[in-house]
Amino acid sequence: MDAYLAAIAIIALIYMLLSLGLTLQYGLTGLINFGHVGFFAIGAYTSALLSLQGLPLALTIPAAAVTAGLAAWPIGLISLRLRDDYFAIVTLGFSETVRLVITSEKWLTNGVQGIPGIPRLFETISVGIGAQLAVMGVILAVTLVAIYAMRRIVASPFGRVIEAIRDNEEALQALGKDPAGFKIQVLILGSALAGIAGAFYAHYITYIVPDQFIPLVTFYVWMAIIIGGVGRVSGAIVGTGLLMLFLEGSRFLRDIVPGVSEVEMASLRIGVVGLLLVLFTIYRPQGLMGDFTKR
Amino acid sequence: MFYAQLAVNGLVQGLVVGLGALALTLVFGIARFPNAATGDTMTFGAYAALTVHKASGSLALGSIAAIGGAAVLALLAYLTVFKRLAGRSVVSLLVASIGIGFMIRAGLGVAFGHQQQVFNVPLSRPIRVAGLAINPLDLQLAAVAAVALAAVFAILYLTPIGRQMRAVADNRDLARVSGIRPERVMTAMWLITGGVSAVGGMMLGIKTIVSPEVGWEMLLPVFAATILGGIGSPVGAVVAGLVLGVAQEVSTPFVGFTYKIALSFVVLLAVLLVRPRGLFGRIEGVR
Repeated sequence: MDAYLAAIAIIALIYMLLSLGLTLQYGLTGLINFGHVGFFAIGAYTSALLSLQGLPLALTIPAAAVTAGLAAWPIGLISLRLRDDYFAIVTLGFSETVRLVITSEKWLTNGVQGIPGIPRLFETISVGIGAQLAVMGVILAVTLVAIYAMRRIVASPFGRVIEAIRDNEEALQALGKDPAGFKIQVLILGSALAGIAGAFYAHYITYIVPDQFIPLVTFYVWMAIIIGGVGRVSGAIVGTGLLMLFLEGSRFLRDIVPGVSEVEMASLRIGVVGLLLVLFTIYRPQGLMGDFTKR
Repeated sequence: MFYAQLAVNGLVQGLVVGLGALALTLVFGIARFPNAATGDTMTFGAYAALTVHKASGSLALGSIAAIGGAAVLALLAYLTVFKRLAGRSVVSLLVASIGIGFMIRAGLGVAFGHQQQVFNVPLSRPIRVAGLAINPLDLQLAAVAAVALAAVFAILYLTPIGRQMRAVADNRDLARVSGIRPERVMTAMWLITGGVSAVGGMMLGIKTIVSPEVGWEMLLPVFAATILGGIGSPVGAVVAGLVLGVAQEVSTPFVGFTYKIALSFVVLLAVLLVRPRGLFGRIEGVR
């Protein structure tokens, strides 16, 4: 039971990092990133491949952040010239292309067979609950640093500028600021966070295949921040909690309600994600923790 | 000759992409948001056609059921969701359309399961025309697509409601002060969109397989064709779809089977960067 709770906590923290990245990009800056899972995948594969070459995880996880951030750079350059909704399509296409590349380039990623035997964090500690708690501690520390950094960003001049980009880009330009540079920075930062999340995921699950990086993951994260409240750090935290409750709860539900196969459950899960996205968009666009002073 | 054969094979695929892009571009031009549920509406059409075809053995009945069913589905999505979100940001509509797509996919997954299904159509010997092998089934499918396209373009360009739709696409406010009722235009537009998607989905199902994900996987080529054709341009969408379908097939010997899908992404980026209006676009430019 303890091991199970620790496992859930670790996955929740990984989703939390993803949500924080998206909160920075969409919630604060208004960049509609529909390709979050692409950067998550880049992080996971980077860290996994480097660590299998024998590099220490203390190097490969930052490397995952760097590659995911660098991958976001060209996407950012393009985003400057596009309207919001086109950017959404481009990023969605990007994440699907990433998945195609990791599926096809077998020499590097072993294609659909995936990469097994990725080293764990703290492999020297015995496999039991101690190692789990140590892993959880590290991810928790990184998440707390990310939350602290986000709060600082929101309160900083940088935070005010990116929120202004979201609210009224023309007005910001009229004040002589250049939204382009800020957007690129935000995109790189958020993607680097997704890269770190991917690295932790790879080293925790120890086995990655392209099918783990489908667009549904992106929309899990979207669901989390939309339910929690867009543009609020607290929203990302609450939303991720509810997302985990939903993902794990649906697993238990299957044990209680007989006659629902795993495949049907997967379908139902997608359906509930869809329904919640629609309902929240219509009835509660600010989310649960949202800023009720504006719409 | 080899490439000519590939190009011929790509035409049917191109029609599928073109039909999807036509559905997408109508919504984009008139309701002003990218409808990410387009792909799943196509899947719905494929399943509707498959079910009726299995029960009755008639593809004609199957296509009627698919068109009717998907048209009603699209209208329902408008009445229950998109109508309420009118005047909200594009993001709201986009996110809601993703949600609707997910719900359609979930419904199909629960109703029909996840295993791949195929249309039981009789195999026939290809016809040889000038050294090219042409599958009679492809000819039939092309004919179906041609009829569907002719019907849509006739509605758009020959009927009063079509003229009103184009007016709303051109300038919504001007259309409104001219006494065009947006409600009627939207209803007609969503019915047509659903029907067109269904024809595309059915063709896709007959040519390949039917599974709950087939439509969603078409979304990227469909978006690419819409933007290549120019947002809101029905002719552009169909032409761009054909171009993209042929280009995908012809590129296969060079880039391999898996990467032909990535071609859409490359085309999408190239068009957005070099010529955001697309080939035929004029209604709406991109910044």
